[in-house]
Amino acid sequence: MSRWAKQIETQVGIPTVCVAMDNIVHYAVTYIREYYTGMPLRFVAVPFPFTGQPKAVDVGYVTGKDMLNGGPLMASVVSALTSPLTANEKISGAPANESVEPRLLPPDTEDNLRALFDAKEWSDYNWINLPTEKKVMAMLRGTSHKPDEIIKTVTITGGARPLSVEKVAISAVMAGASPEHFPVILALATQAPFGNSTSSMANMVVINGPIAKKLKFNSGTNAMGPYNRSNAVVGRAFTILSKTAGDLRNNVNAWESLGSNFQYNNILYAENEDNLPDGWKPLHTQMGFNPDDNVVTVGTGWTSISSVGGSQELYPVHYLMRDYMSSLTASGSAATIVMDPTVAGLLQTAHGFKTKEQLSEWFSQNAEKTAGNYWGNGVIQSTVVPLALQGLEPYAGWRKVPNETMIKPFTNSRAIHIVVTGGKIQTTWFVTDFGMRRGVKIDDWA
Amino acid sequence: MDRRKMLALLGISPALVAGTPAYAGTAGRRREGASYEGSDETITVMNPAIDNKVADRVPLAPRLKNLNDKMIYMVNLAWEGPDAANYFYEAMTDWLQQHYTGVRTKIGVTAEGMFGSDPALIKSIKDSHADAAVVGVAG
Repeated sequence: MSRWAKQIETQVGIPTVCVAMDNIVHYAVTYIREYYTGMPLRFVAVPFPFTGQPKAVDVGYVTGKDMLNGGPLMASVVSALTSPLTANEKISGAPANESVEPRLLPPDTEDNLRALFDAKEWSDYNWINLPTEKKVMAMLRGTSHKPDEIIKTVTITGGARPLSVEKVAISAVMAGASPEHFPVILALATQAPFGNSTSSMANMVVINGPIAKKLKFNSGTNAMGPYNRSNAVVGRAFTILSKTAGDLRNNVNAWESLGSNFQYNNILYAENEDNLPDGWKPLHTQMGFNPDDNVVTVGTGWTSISSVGGSQELYPVHYLMRDYMSSLTASGSAATIVMDPTVAGLLQTAHGFKTKEQLSEWFSQNAEKTAGNYWGNGVIQSTVVPLALQGLEPYAGWRKVPNETMIKPFTNSRAIHIVVTGGKIQTTWFVTDFGMRRGVKIDDWA
Repeated sequence: MDRRKMLALLGISPALVAGTPAYAGTAGRRREGASYEGSDETITVMNPAIDNKVADRVPLAPRLKNLNDKMIYMVNLAWEGPDAANYFYEAMTDWLQQHYTGVRTKIGVTAEGMFGSDPALIKSIKDSHADAAVVGVAG
């Protein structure tokens, strides 16, 4: 919204007022103003929730009060467009108050430093390894990259924060990782920060290649549970570096209403490549990497639905997966099905899916939901409706059909990923809505 | 018997005597990796925070004297759907027309959503000779 208003104020040259909901307006007039637009844009605020209300409620918001300053809303709107500019609103040019972070924090006791790290929201509030220079230097020996090399500049939520190898090493130490984990964490850092939305956005991280065995990542029993050090500390490192590189602070620029417990570990596990059925390729080779490449793949999503129990003969397992997929938003056509090797074997031998790609295609052709179910989600409304408004099919057509019409929302089978992991103890699986990005080669960060 | 087990049997936490030279083993010297928790000793650690660039300041456009006879362009960002702001902008139009003579409004829906850019909409605002704009509603 701020970007739009800035565009109108600067390109059209006319006064503009932003109407925001009161759940995010303080972010807009503080963090966004300082680190993104540089403009003291004028805002008014209506109550949240706004969408999905009867007409009378929205009309009441117009005649009601401005949630930002407490006065009548329309008086605020008129004032925003007509009150003369203050001296502060006429300022242009580079700011005087650039923030400079010292490399070392002032010496203090461990207790005080722990309190400081908590107060600054640099940790996940579990016990951290305090990053002494000696420990960070030891971590840096896990890579050939120089400490001052900039991996990326993080701009999400506003600002521009150059993320260096040394800063990632600090997070890796805090998470309890060892130097041999560091190349994996550096590869992960290219994907930082983790999901951040008003919804409960989260991430999934998959490790592929020989490094999974070398560093003892778990792809067997309890692959997705708290039973393995590498899974635990690397997943946690992504959380900590996301918070520090993203400058993410609760109710400042991190505002997920419910949040997500997934963000403690980011669902990190390794694929069980040794137990893939014949013809089923590991995730990273599906993306074009060589089997011997070490790759970390990050997905973004919200939802994971467990099979709960094992597979039954009376209803084929892929039918049940398809049915569960109707509960996913299908945002970007994305889904990731995580299954035990026994399920993968069953799908290959009993149901004839010779490759992962065949199974993905079957889901794309057979997973359905009603149009009402599809459009009834706010994320779809915000991201897919613009495509429909541009006339892009099938979205434009789906907007015209009755709510009860069945549609096939997973239009792109290549966005439906299959990952095999687990200990062959039970024929269980998860259907998730995580959309996987292209993997990152860990070897490039060794 | 293991010293830790013995202390536990006596109901004494090993942590209580961990600070004694006999238990720590190295009087006056801290072992590498040992915790400083509860200690008055100070340590120096590295700063995880990263320099954040503050945006260059940009001034606002000049304001209007009043809204009489003005054209106000209402930009619907289509947040949570293109229809979400309809009732609100209709009610806002009614209010403005009741309070200002000759005020006109136009509602434009961005075709690319809140996160896209829509040059056609910016052109529409210019072509409408709008005097002011309202942007919203989003949360």
